[in-house]
Amino acid sequence: MSNAMRTPAGAISVERYQGAVAEGRLKRLWNANAPGYLFLLPWLVGFFGLTLGPALISLYLSFTDFDMLQSPRWVGMANYVRIATADPKFSAAMHVTLTYVVFSVPFKLTFALLVAMALNRGLRGLPIYRAIFYLPSLLGGSVAIAVLWRQLFASDGLVNAALSHFGIEGPSWISHPNYSIYTLVALSVWQFGSPMIIFLAGLRQIPQDMYEAASLDGASKFRQFYKITLPLLTPVIFFNAVVQTIDAFKAFTPAFIISGGTGGPINSTLFYTLYLYQEAFGNFRMGYASALAWILVLIIAVFTAFSFLTSRYWVHYDD
Amino acid sequence: MTLRVSRRNFVAGSAALLSLSALGTSAMAQETRLRLLWWGSQPRADRTNKVSELYKTKNAGTAITGEFLGWADYWPRLATQVAGRNAPDIIQMDYRYIVEYARRGALAPLESYMPSKLQLEDFDPAQIEGGKVDGHLYGVSLGANSAATVLNTVAFKEAGIDMPTQKTTWEEFGKIGAEMTKAGKRKGYFGFADGSGVEPALENYLRQRGKALYTADSKIAFGPEEATEWFDMWAKFREARACVTPDIQALYKDTIDTSPLTVGKAACDYAHSNQFVGYQAMVKDKLALTNYMRITPDSKGGHYRKPSMFFSVSAQSKVMDQAVDYVNFFVKNPDAAVILDVERGIPESKAMRDVVAAKLDETGKVPLAYVAGLGDLAGPLPPPPPTGAGEGTLILRNIAEQVAFGQLSPSDGGKQLVDEITRILARG
Repeated sequence: MSNAMRTPAGAISVERYQGAVAEGRLKRLWNANAPGYLFLLPWLVGFFGLTLGPALISLYLSFTDFDMLQSPRWVGMANYVRIATADPKFSAAMHVTLTYVVFSVPFKLTFALLVAMALNRGLRGLPIYRAIFYLPSLLGGSVAIAVLWRQLFASDGLVNAALSHFGIEGPSWISHPNYSIYTLVALSVWQFGSPMIIFLAGLRQIPQDMYEAASLDGASKFRQFYKITLPLLTPVIFFNAVVQTIDAFKAFTPAFIISGGTGGPINSTLFYTLYLYQEAFGNFRMGYASALAWILVLIIAVFTAFSFLTSRYWVHYDD
Repeated sequence: MTLRVSRRNFVAGSAALLSLSALGTSAMAQETRLRLLWWGSQPRADRTNKVSELYKTKNAGTAITGEFLGWADYWPRLATQVAGRNAPDIIQMDYRYIVEYARRGALAPLESYMPSKLQLEDFDPAQIEGGKVDGHLYGVSLGANSAATVLNTVAFKEAGIDMPTQKTTWEEFGKIGAEMTKAGKRKGYFGFADGSGVEPALENYLRQRGKALYTADSKIAFGPEEATEWFDMWAKFREARACVTPDIQALYKDTIDTSPLTVGKAACDYAHSNQFVGYQAMVKDKLALTNYMRITPDSKGGHYRKPSMFFSVSAQSKVMDQAVDYVNFFVKNPDAAVILDVERGIPESKAMRDVVAAKLDETGKVPLAYVAGLGDLAGPLPPPPPTGAGEGTLILRNIAEQVAFGQLSPSDGGKQLVDEITRILARG
């Protein structure tokens, strides 16, 4: 109680608080803290009403059979058992999602780093470039871009028109099961803006004198990158990698738009979240979908924990 | 800085707020509020809203709020609203989902309102039957239609090929398609769309063979042999280049604007007759409708007149009488019928059909003539699809794609289709 009372306003000292209690003047304290609570209120309502509450309800629902029209029926572990043993679509969705994570995250980070380094050279009009490169990230999650992507990569799209100049007849990238997931990877790499901005900030933190010293010692540009830039940037790389991996696991919109919600052709774009959505809202299996959601939480937690555990071997913080 | 709200101020403020909100409610108090929810596009919304306006002018004190979404977004929204005890009073319902919603107690049975408030005497009895689940009436059909083949007449003329007729067999259709592709009058143009994953097309094929998709007691009504033959037939069409390649077909997302016919890839596609108006609005060339092909020249047609969509009343509605009255107005008022046209299918009421027929434009006449002219091609209405049928549609599409992309043989595809649908139905 005492902590909760004090933290929001943050302005009152412990002594004064104790004094207040001693004098039994909690009311005055409340008056002093009211603005704090008031400012916190939207967040509190949002957190309990829209995040924690629904999350706990979904945990409960994951042990039930719930079709949204009738009341949930307790089924114990049945949903989890089915996920583990008798759901071919779960493994298909897992496969697609892992493929997406494994390809999109490293490519995106590499690309973001390259662009950040190019921009770090003190170009004129840097803010404009930054804005331009960041733009796809702002737009990227939107429906419009997913639709645009469809146009680009359709059989008669721009990409194939370009290829045809070289005498190559391309397939319909987005509607062939062998390629469709990679067009989504490309879409994700294109949205490199937010890790790029963070890399840029990280690069700015590296003291210039280190490079000067290194070049005086005759270190090549590549060696400088390898020995100075990369090690000093590892905390930023780590941060970006974790955030982007979580994002990749949660990817939904592009696959939803590009496949029209089907995850097709032949489940090749059946992202985990898309399958979850289909089960919940398409097939009225909210309980099962909740179980799927908690499995995803678990998977993301495991990945994140793994990243943190291994980080001590490769992430260097300033000592 | 402190924020002090004295008790007096607080009371005064609350009172002001209360009186404000009271103003709002008192103005609404005499009004009955009806909420409507339907799927469809803007033109449908315009027509629906116009009918609501008309209803309001004739029923003073009724406020109607209507909301519409696309098909794919509609079902999640409806399910969430029903689950949240916030269902709209009047719900546009599809034949596919009516069993799910009715059996789960989300819809109000309407037969007790007949004939006092709900006057369906001049409806085709079979179509009223279509809105029944377990003997209760849960939906009033807003129009009839039938599955159909849409043809681009201009493409056929250009290529100098005769269009398929009511008598054309699938085998002949394959030849027509291959010729059309070969004629090459348009770049990257094929004879017809790949229908192997189109559920109404498979259903029609099964019905011609005396089978069906589902039985009345929610079981699968066809075997692996029929499914294999179906996939086999399409494999041959693909080989002969009579239909579009699988990667073109995979771009089709069950919407008119993504149909191979609409995007200029094929001269024929499969649709429902009420969608004809929508197709013609998007394709410059003049279109026509014909039935699905026959297996043999003398095989019975597999078509049926399908209630295209229903209006159902929510079991949670607090203004049920008014809702039923609105539904009755929607299907029985001549002015409403003129506004609605055949956009939701051909009116079920004979009187309204006559009213509409007299005012139809050229495009509107095509589906009317088509459904009226089915003759012996139309059979009885199959029972409403069971729970899980929605998933069955996706499975068919998925397996058809696997066969088309060469990942499954037609016979393995046939077996797998029957297996998976059986499994889904068993789970319910």
